[in-house]
Amino acid sequence: MLALVRPDSWNLPLFLHVLGATLTFGATATVALLGFAGLRGDPERAVWLRRLGFRIGLFVLVPAFILMRAGAQWIADKEFPGNAKTPGWLDVGFIVTEPGAVLVLAMLILAWFGSRRAGSRVAAAVPWLAAVYLVALGIAWFAMSAKPGS
Amino acid sequence: MSLYQWLLFFHVTGAFFLIGGIVIAGILNIAAIAKDRRPSQVATLYRLIRLGVPLIGLGLLLTLALGLWLVHEVGYGYGEAWIVIAIVLWVLAGALGSIDGKYQRQTGELAERLAAQGDPSSPELLARLRDPRALAISYGSGLMAFAVLGLMIWKPGA
Repeated sequence: MLALVRPDSWNLPLFLHVLGATLTFGATATVALLGFAGLRGDPERAVWLRRLGFRIGLFVLVPAFILMRAGAQWIADKEFPGNAKTPGWLDVGFIVTEPGAVLVLAMLILAWFGSRRAGSRVAAAVPWLAAVYLVALGIAWFAMSAKPGS
Repeated sequence: MSLYQWLLFFHVTGAFFLIGGIVIAGILNIAAIAKDRRPSQVATLYRLIRLGVPLIGLGLLLTLALGLWLVHEVGYGYGEAWIVIAIVLWVLAGALGSIDGKYQRQTGELAERLAAQGDPSSPELLARLRDPRALAISYGSGLMAFAVLGLMIWKPGA
């Protein structure tokens, strides 16, 4: 029942974290949709959709991810200052965001290569990586909201 | 896990679905109007937007149903200002979203027709895509959902 006793000073970082997380979810889903749609149809259309997916990844997903991660660090520093032991549900969040950053970066690099020519084989990996990241985000929001074990 | 933890998880899941769906629709809508796109491109983007609509519907349902259950479970009053304001904003967001949905469906159908007729550029399609009133309804609806998110965190007066 943390929400009932949360100090007011935690609200802004929590809002920014949740806002960033929801935007990250929406942007990742958009990249996945464009990526899957870009695997079919005529080559010109496929390249256009993949290029759009890459731009959305770069200009929406990356800022949203940074907002989510910065908000998470801000509120974690307030809730567990110094060397305080962090609970498992918080560790799950960091496990999802830190390797998640590598996954997002890999997805963007592949999306860039995939958007350069219609026959690119790496383009097929982009929507699947986005789908994997959506599942990881689902695990994180389960841990963050239900706080199992707390 | 307690009932409270499960309710909160599914309530938050609803919020992710709702805002995630709004973000999908918003990004693809901006992509459709930002440049003078061919009707076939607009039709493609609007077909993808339609895939986000069930997410918005499910999100609306989960946030309200589980939210009301949480109010009861935690012991908040249904008449508390932040809860009343959140419900009013939820209803307004849903109503505006419904109006916007009908408008966007017609725009998507126009784009599909034009695409099937040789993909000519169309001032009518462009006017519909950039109609200020429709954009105000569309983005107003989305902003209300974000305002509810803020209310859920700050809970003013609770």
